[in-house]
Amino acid sequence: MSTEEKRQEILAKLKNAVIQYDEDTSKEASKEALELGLEANDAIFNGLVSGMEEVGRLFEAQEYFVPELLMCADALYAGLDILKPHVKQLELGVRGSVVIGTVEGDVHDIGKNIVKMMFDVAGFTVYDLGRDVPLDKFVEEQMKTDSDLVCLSAMMTTTMVGMKKVIEDLKAKNPNVKIMIGGAPVSQDIADKWGADGYAKDANNALKDAINMISSLKKLKEEAEAKKGS
Amino acid sequence: MSEITPKERVLKLFAGEETDRPPCFSGMGNVTTEGLKKYGYKFAALHSNAKMMSDAAASTYKLFGFECVVVPFDLCVEAEALGCEINVYAHLEDILYPTIKKKLIHTEDEMDIRIPSDLSVRGRIPLIKETIGLIKADIGNKVAVGTYVLGPFTLAGQIMELNDLLKLSFKKPDKVGKLLDMLSDAIIIVAKEFEKAGADYITVREMGATSDVLSPRVFKNLILPYLKKIFAELKTNTVLHICGKTNDIAVSMVESGARAISVDQKNDIAETRKKIGNDSLLFGNYDPYNVLVSGTPEKVRETIRKCLDDGVSAVWPGCDIWPTVPPENIIAMMDEAKKYRR
Repeated sequence: MSTEEKRQEILAKLKNAVIQYDEDTSKEASKEALELGLEANDAIFNGLVSGMEEVGRLFEAQEYFVPELLMCADALYAGLDILKPHVKQLELGVRGSVVIGTVEGDVHDIGKNIVKMMFDVAGFTVYDLGRDVPLDKFVEEQMKTDSDLVCLSAMMTTTMVGMKKVIEDLKAKNPNVKIMIGGAPVSQDIADKWGADGYAKDANNALKDAINMISSLKKLKEEAEAKKGS
Repeated sequence: MSEITPKERVLKLFAGEETDRPPCFSGMGNVTTEGLKKYGYKFAALHSNAKMMSDAAASTYKLFGFECVVVPFDLCVEAEALGCEINVYAHLEDILYPTIKKKLIHTEDEMDIRIPSDLSVRGRIPLIKETIGLIKADIGNKVAVGTYVLGPFTLAGQIMELNDLLKLSFKKPDKVGKLLDMLSDAIIIVAKEFEKAGADYITVREMGATSDVLSPRVFKNLILPYLKKIFAELKTNTVLHICGKTNDIAVSMVESGARAISVDQKNDIAETRKKIGNDSLLFGNYDPYNVLVSGTPEKVRETIRKCLDDGVSAVWPGCDIWPTVPPENIIAMMDEAKKYRR
């Protein structure tokens, strides 16, 4: 079997481990990938993330629901924990750090954790404030860490209104910071009205949005490498 | 002939009798900032004071003619009585609903809990009963008094990590089933106390089992049996409320044995009506925030008309009414409901 064939085999194994929420196989395939000398980034993006893309599709088709999504995420992390120490730092010219949390009054954090996972995958430094986070804390943490991005999550209409204040405070203190909001009650209309830069409709869309964002980072990297090569 | 009271209208609806028009009421929280202003109350202070809770709850009827009075205003009563700690956000001026601060079950091994033998007198259960009594004494002859309990799956998601509960309902459904069975018993005890206090109807809120989260198959196999158990035990009028996607479980919701089912704005009412037939009571489904709070009065009227045209049995919100609702929107809603003739 050629190296390329073996590579394809391992990538498929990683992908299927995520889709079939099989943590053990995910770990095993990640070790095999390293033994074979695969780039950790290759195994993460073309194996694990590729599996998660399929999970997103299954979720959208209502073949998978949130329990499956959570188990797939566990399988992804099982592999990621092994591969991550071997990742070569992406040279993208961006710092890539993000403050993320669920706003005060809201104790739902599943959607937030799915988005966090994709930032972890992309090699971001994630400052996870957890759930039921006092509104001032987001501004404080952004200032302290000088993060590029702040992600706010709310699952309830009643807590979503708190986001407006955080967005205003953040933009007043640091007009360059990018703000992404998400959760069941959030709409594009609300994101526009309140001045958020990005919006994710629900766990599924958040996953898709995050994947799209990661893909565009990947593209940047490939372009940078292509330039270097030429 | 004198006009019938809101109470008669609601009770006739539950009894399956003809009414002059569909009532406009709710089984969930509907206190408004107008009501809070009337008494000078702070939202966070309402949850632990029977007098204040009853005043605030009755104010939406007194100010706007909304055709019910519903207590409490938060979803933590049962979890608190079972031993969780709650946060009412007393330090904030803004309105936030209380949440669970400290859970009861932290790991899978702790799932084998027992119902406290004195559950009916724990936490705020006596307070809610007292509040229902105060409202009944004040205006109980004119307006129906409602209350609510959580469904077993939603309650389980409060006393343990939702993340764990969801994964276990897939990996170890027997273990989750055992917990839901125990919680159903607890819910029956609490709901019976509220019946004793005089509640005219009780809504079981099982929003954790929405098809946005769980497959209709899991709903049917794992959750529906315990909902059936609860509704079989209750004597008063009952409503089963689930928010989010519900079209694929609407028939199962009716099979639960609840007298009426309640759904939110994500449900296609015309389709649901077709599926469940004309004999079942279907409540819903205007968006209590994007229509009632941030919409125009004209948008409110259009939405109410559409709900009724599509086949709801009562004008009823998809969730708790958010307190900052503009008075002109509630007035428009009541007016549209009153004008409507089938």
